Amino acid sequence: MRQIRWMNMIVVAAMAGTMVMGATRTQEDVKVSHTSLKAGDMAPDFTLLDNKWKQIHLSDYRGKKNVVLAFYVLAFTEG
Amino acid sequence: MAKLEASDAVVFGISIDSPAANNAFAEKIGVTFPLLSDMNRKVLKEYGILKMYNVQKQEYDWAQRTTFVVDKKGVIQSVEEEASAINPNNAVAVCTKLPKK
Repeated sequence: MRQIRWMNMIVVAAMAGTMVMGATRTQEDVKVSHTSLKAGDMAPDFTLLDNKWKQIHLSDYRGKKNVVLAFYVLAFTEG
Repeated sequence: MAKLEASDAVVFGISIDSPAANNAFAEKIGVTFPLLSDMNRKVLKEYGILKMYNVQKQEYDWAQRTTFVVDKKGVIQSVEEEASAINPNNAVAVCTKLPKK
């Protein structure tokens, strides 16, 4: 009987631990501003308008050119 | 930039500004590469570089300054964030080392 009680406690503790870890991870997802992309990952494709209102598809450069994507904060700033 | 073009690379600047604002910005600073508008922040979210900026006690989510080098297979070859992303020399070095075909 005593053994079963111990088992229950361990199970409850493990569940609580999982919940705490889950909660922490969610918070990190919100806070994190560093990209999760790293060298070796596929670059997500996109379609965006350039400054001449022309559509640019990242996938158009596949097999043709290397692409440097320089994200900047805002136009007309030092960013 | 000439070095980047020589290494078989194209360059895109990306921000949340409108095409009109980007065009005025491009003319002002004389950039030779296209500036792309991610006005709905979709690409910034996908690339995980939306960052909160506090301006006069209000928060705004704009791009974190980041440079990605993507090779011809669509694979990311380098990621530089914040201050190190200002200097393009590393991106040039990465592109120069990539295979020519």
